[in-house]
Amino acid sequence: MWHSQALACKKLSKFQPIQFYNNESGTYELLPFNFDKVSDDRYVITNLVGEYLTIDSKSLQDIVNHELSPTNNLYSKLRSKQFIREPDEAYPIELLALKLRTRFARLANFTNLHIFVVTLRCDHSCPYCQVSRQSEDKASFDMTTEMADKSLAMVFRSPSPAIKIEFQGGEPLLNFEMIKYVVTTAKKLNAVHQRNLAFVIATTLSLITEEILVFCKEHNIVISTSLDGPEDLHNANRPRPNKDSYQRFIDGLQKTRAILGYNQVSALMTTTDKSLPRVKDIIDEYLKLGFKGIFLRPLSPYGFAIKTRKFMSYNTERWLEFYKEGLDYIIQLNKNGIEFSEYYSALVLKKMMTSSDPGYVDLMNPAGIGIAAIVFNYDGNVYASDESRMLAEMGDSTFLLGNVLTNTYEEIILSDKLLDALDESFTLSAPMCSECAFEIYCGAEPVYHHAIHKDFLARKPESEFCKRNMTTFKHLINIMEDDSERKSLFIDWANKC
Amino acid sequence: MHNLVVIFDERIYSVLTLQKAAYRFISYFACNFSLTENQIQCEIESTGNMTLEAFNAKVHDFKKEVLDQHLREKIRVETDDIRNLILSVAFSSTGLQKVE
Repeated sequence: MWHSQALACKKLSKFQPIQFYNNESGTYELLPFNFDKVSDDRYVITNLVGEYLTIDSKSLQDIVNHELSPTNNLYSKLRSKQFIREPDEAYPIELLALKLRTRFARLANFTNLHIFVVTLRCDHSCPYCQVSRQSEDKASFDMTTEMADKSLAMVFRSPSPAIKIEFQGGEPLLNFEMIKYVVTTAKKLNAVHQRNLAFVIATTLSLITEEILVFCKEHNIVISTSLDGPEDLHNANRPRPNKDSYQRFIDGLQKTRAILGYNQVSALMTTTDKSLPRVKDIIDEYLKLGFKGIFLRPLSPYGFAIKTRKFMSYNTERWLEFYKEGLDYIIQLNKNGIEFSEYYSALVLKKMMTSSDPGYVDLMNPAGIGIAAIVFNYDGNVYASDESRMLAEMGDSTFLLGNVLTNTYEEIILSDKLLDALDESFTLSAPMCSECAFEIYCGAEPVYHHAIHKDFLARKPESEFCKRNMTTFKHLINIMEDDSERKSLFIDWANKC
Repeated sequence: MHNLVVIFDERIYSVLTLQKAAYRFISYFACNFSLTENQIQCEIESTGNMTLEAFNAKVHDFKKEVLDQHLREKIRVETDDIRNLILSVAFSSTGLQKVE
C-alpha cells in the first residue's frame, strides 16, 4: 500500500529531484553574448535578447575559457539568463528564440504612429524650434481636406492593429478645423477597418479653448504639451509677442485637466544652454504642476536649432552632466517618498529588464523611420519621421519618401530612400555596433547620423549619439549595481513604462 | 603628430581582431597594418592635436582593447552556429515572410 502511494506520488511530482540538475561533467557551452567595460573592473555582459549581468574581468576570462565551476554562484545566474547552456539542453535555445520574437514583435505590426502636420503656422518664435515656422496668417502652410483624405487612406493601409494619429505643427490648434476633419473622417473610416484608434494633439496650450477641449473629450483625444521649466526659463525659451507663454501654458493646463482629466495631458521639455544650470528648478516646476515625471532630452540637430546655432551651444558631455544631476535629484526625491520618474531612463530600463520593446523610435533597430512612425506634411509630402521633415525644412530632402497626391502607398513604403536608410544603418551588421554590449538597448538613428555625418551609419567612435547613449547605459547599470534600493526604483520605472 | 609601431604575434591575434580594436580608436589615431613572418606590424599615427602623454595613454588603451577584441572573437567563433539557430527558430513561423 505504502509502496504504491509512493509510486503514485513520484509519478505525479512536477519537479525533478535536486540531483537531476547537477552538472556532473562540469562542461558547458557558450551562448552568444557581448561584453563591455562599465567601470574599472566591472564588465557588463549582454545577450541578444537584452539579458545582462555584471562581472569582473577574471570571471569573464573564466567563462570564455570554460573554467567556471558549476558550484560557482555565477554559474546558475549565467544559465538562468541564457549565457551558457549544458550539453544537449534545448530549452535555452527555445527561450532565447521566444524572447527574441517578443522583442521584435512590433516589426510585424508595422507603422503605428502617424503624424499629421496640419499647419506650419505658429504663435511662438522659439529660437531652438526644430520646425521652421511661418507667421500665423499664411494659410498656404495649412493642410487641405484633399491632402488629409489622401493621407488617411494611406494611414489605414498600415497593417497595425493600433493606429495613433498625432497632430503637430507649427501650432496645430491654428488649424483646428482640419484636426476636427481628420478625427471625424478617421473614425468613419475606422468603422470599416476596426483598429484601435487613438489621437494626440501636440500643442503649447497657448490657444486651447473650452470648445476645443469639449471636442477632445468627445473623441478621447489626449494632449502632449511643452514645459521647459520655471516661468522665466519657459518664457525665454519660448518667446511670444506678449511674453506670456508660461501664463498661457498654466491657464491652458488648468482648463485641459478640468475638462479632459488630470492625467490626459503630458509634457515634454527641451534643454537649451539656459536650462543647463537649472535642472533642479525644472524638475521642481514639473512637480509643482503635478506631473509624475520628466523626459530629460537634448536639443536635436534640426530646423531652427541649426539655423540659430542653438544646437552647438553645449556639447554631449555638458548634457550628460545635466542628465546625471537631474537623475540623482529624481532618485533623491523618490527616497524622500515623492513618486517621480525620468522617462528616458525608464525607456532604457524597460529594454534592459524586460523582453518588451517600448517602441521609442530613436532606440530602435531596424530604425523606426517609416516602419514605426511616418509623417504626413501639410503639403502632401510624406517623410520618414518627424526629424526627417525638420531636415527638409532646412533644404535636405533625403528622407522625403513621396507625396500623397502623386505616389502610391507601395511607392512610398518601398522607396529606395527608406529601404536604403534602414538597410545601411542596421546595427547588427554595423562596425562596432554589431559587437557592442549595448546594441540591443540602442538604436540605428539614420536621420541623426545623416544630419551630422552625412552618412546613415557614420563612424560610431565619432558619433555623439553613440557617446551619449553608451554613457547613459553604463551610468544606469552602475547605479543599479552599486545600490539595491535604486535598482528597486528602476525596476518600478521599467514596469510602469 | 605622433607615430608609434606596435608588433603583434600573428599566431595569437588575427588581423580582424586588431582592425576591430583600431576602429574603436579611429577618432584618435589611424593604423596601417602590414604582415611579416609571424608578425602583424601596426603603424599608429595620431590624428588632430594630442599631447604625447595623451597619445601614449590611448595606445595603452588600444592594447587593452585588443585583448577584449580577442575574447570577443573567441565567443563569436564558438557561438556563431547557435546564434543562427536561435534566429531561425525565432523567426521561422512569424508570418513575416510569404512562402511562394
